[in-house]
Amino acid sequence: MKRYFHNELSDIRTKLILIGEKSIEAGQLAVKGFLENDLDIIELALSLDDQIDDLEVEIDRAAVRYTTLRSPMSADVRLIFVAIKASHDLERAGDEAHSIAKKTRNILNRYGNIENPVHIEKMALLAFDMMRDAITCFVEEDIELAQSIPPRDKEVDNLNKENFKTLSDRATTDLIDTPTAIETILISKSIERIADHSKNLAQEVVYLLTGK
Amino acid sequence: MQMHINKFTKRPARDAAVENLLITSFRIATYLIVIAAGCIFVNITYNGAKAVFQAEAPFVNIGFLTQKPQTLHVYEPKAIFFEQNAVNKQIVALEQQSEALAYSKNSDKEILSIQEEIAGLKARNKMLEKARKSGRLLYSDSEYQKLEALPDPENYIYNNYAYSGGGIGPAIIGTCLLVIGSITIALLLGVLCAIFLSEYSRPGKTLQLVRLSILNLSGVPSIVFGLFGFGIFVLFFGWGVSLIAGWFTLAIMALPVIITASEESMRSIPKGFREGSLALGASEWTTIRTNVLPYALPGILTSSIMGIARVAGETAPIMFTAAFALRDQLPWQGLEKPSDFFFQGVMALPYHIYVVSSKIPQNEYTRNMQYGTAFVFLCIVGAFALSSILLRIRLRSKYRW
Amino acid sequence: MTPKTAHHPIIQVRDLDFAYGDTKALSNISMDIEEKKVTALIGPSGCGKTTLLRCFNRMNDLIDNARILKGHIKVSNVDIYGENIDEIELRKYIGMVFQKSNPFPKTIYENIAYGLRIQGVRKKTLLDEVVEECLRGAALWNEVKDRLSESALSISGGQQQRLCIARALAVKPKILLMDEPCSALDPIATAKVEELIHQLKKDYTIVIVTHNMQQAARVSDKTAFFYVGELIEYSKTDDIFMNPSDPQTEAYVSGRFG
Repeated sequence: MKRYFHNELSDIRTKLILIGEKSIEAGQLAVKGFLENDLDIIELALSLDDQIDDLEVEIDRAAVRYTTLRSPMSADVRLIFVAIKASHDLERAGDEAHSIAKKTRNILNRYGNIENPVHIEKMALLAFDMMRDAITCFVEEDIELAQSIPPRDKEVDNLNKENFKTLSDRATTDLIDTPTAIETILISKSIERIADHSKNLAQEVVYLLTGK
Repeated sequence: MQMHINKFTKRPARDAAVENLLITSFRIATYLIVIAAGCIFVNITYNGAKAVFQAEAPFVNIGFLTQKPQTLHVYEPKAIFFEQNAVNKQIVALEQQSEALAYSKNSDKEILSIQEEIAGLKARNKMLEKARKSGRLLYSDSEYQKLEALPDPENYIYNNYAYSGGGIGPAIIGTCLLVIGSITIALLLGVLCAIFLSEYSRPGKTLQLVRLSILNLSGVPSIVFGLFGFGIFVLFFGWGVSLIAGWFTLAIMALPVIITASEESMRSIPKGFREGSLALGASEWTTIRTNVLPYALPGILTSSIMGIARVAGETAPIMFTAAFALRDQLPWQGLEKPSDFFFQGVMALPYHIYVVSSKIPQNEYTRNMQYGTAFVFLCIVGAFALSSILLRIRLRSKYRW
Repeated sequence: MTPKTAHHPIIQVRDLDFAYGDTKALSNISMDIEEKKVTALIGPSGCGKTTLLRCFNRMNDLIDNARILKGHIKVSNVDIYGENIDEIELRKYIGMVFQKSNPFPKTIYENIAYGLRIQGVRKKTLLDEVVEECLRGAALWNEVKDRLSESALSISGGQQQRLCIARALAVKPKILLMDEPCSALDPIATAKVEELIHQLKKDYTIVIVTHNMQQAARVSDKTAFFYVGELIEYSKTDDIFMNPSDPQTEAYVSGRFG
């Protein structure tokens, strides 16, 4: 029997999906700006961070309110807890996107273009695929999809390690100046963190759907 | 002044007037009933008090309450008696004259003077009546026998009236015995039956049959009870016209009222008391004994009051089964063996009223006796009811729930 | 539905069918009640949980036409509907607290002493001891110790219900059945009774029927969910409320029933 306050739960779901979308968008825009050397796109990516932060606060508030006033049980209570954790993960992913954008802006301001994109594009594709899948499996309640995400994190980790090796080598041999190298390494790390967050999300969805 | 029309305006005057009329009619009906009851009580009290109370100490006519009915010997002053006769004859003659003259014309003045004469004679009659009442001598049998010298026949006219002298002592005792005995039997049987009906019986055809029979019993006319009692207790059991036959007949009459009221009283005890008691490991009877009956007692006592009211004033059931018109000895006198106490008849107040009213010619002395008996009877029933009420109040405060 | 065999089942129900006249109230119930634990029976109105509770101490015998159709109930390994069973003795072993508190209209002292008096105990010192012990056990002693000779109806509703609990404890039962004991009480009185249940479960096995799911979640160790006379799910309270196996249970506990 649908109660009058059950729409508050669907509101929370909707907000979660929204913060996920915005997080992906911010990340993809930041990486696009990096790959296309486009400062305008970077500015767009930077502006999304505030929206993501606000959404996280909203979700937190809504979750606490629902718990206090509606005494949820079982699947509903799991949704509330997953909402809090997932919004945090997605907000952190948004922070990582913000960081990517800022570092890209620094490099572009210094040189006007990126000369060592290394594996960034590939990593980004994998990471954002993971995140999109995580959100999809939440929306579609697809356990198998959720369980398929964590293993993909390994590949992103490997790519990150390769990036580190390549960039630190080039920095030592003066092919790139150190600040750019460090910033690019940090960008790579950020994408790897985004993949981690996607893995966490997938695990939370499994908990939501099975209680384990 | 303008009346504001708002949501809560008063209803149209007509509706309110109709309602007030209804309420007034309810009120009038109630007052009529109260007045009627009051009239009856006041009438009996006024007339009965003449027999029961007296002007000198000890203010209560003890003789009336303790002696048995006796013949009343009346000595009326002769002179006054003859004069009253003469005056009455004159009044009658004058009235005839006045009637005859009424048909002829032009006799208004004469009629007036005749009326004045009649009025004067009637006034004289009144004075004579007063003198007669203060001058007459009344003796009951026992007093009469104690007289050393009879009043002079020259000065007094003698008359005697049966049942008009003495008192109603044995009848009072008889009624008390009958009421106490029959209510005891009825309470015993009735409460046991009520316990069975309310606690142990299962709903079904048998139970409906039982209830129907109890209901029918309450509709049976009292004379039929009398015949029934006569047939079974007096003839079949061979008890004869006796106290015990009267007890059982009256008990059966009181049973329906007592059973119904007691059962109601027990049903009104909340189920929670029973369930709580049973859940603690009490048997059904223990539960009833400790948790239902004590709290139902006030109701049961009320039922006994209703039973007393039904039983005490009945003449028909005791006419054939227990009552004697006149009995010389008190119930505890002249017994051969103790059990004879139960197998003797008694006098009873309602029956005594019946005897005095129908079996002997009526006069002012029998009227005195009747009203006196009725008044005493009301007082006794009132006393029984009062004691029951007091007991009920005491129990109610002890077993409050 | 295979019953979970517990370590110390003090009550065992197997394949129980129960009916009032022609209406079947319970179908095929099998469960074990563990000793010294609190078991909650939950479910919507008319699902049979109170019927089952009243079967345990044979209070259903008071209702005409109520009878077992098949199955049995064993209390401490004795079939309580078998032959040669005295339900009076059974009710001293299994006590009951009712939904509407029903203190007798006697004094507080007499209410508690009642259970012992009907067994013939007369010694005042013994009765005094038991009254104090039970009132302490019911967390009521401090509130009424100066008022023992006042009427039991003069105390508040929550205190009356705790009095009924103390009264049930006086006959030293092993099992305490509670039929929605808090449904007529305000939140503070409810909280006190729940605290009491938490204390009592050290010494008594408690079976509680409740409409209030939050209460079942707070108070019980195991929970059984009934629906239309059938036992749908019976397991640890944690599982029933956090992750039930049966979708009907899930729908009921999250309030989506109907």
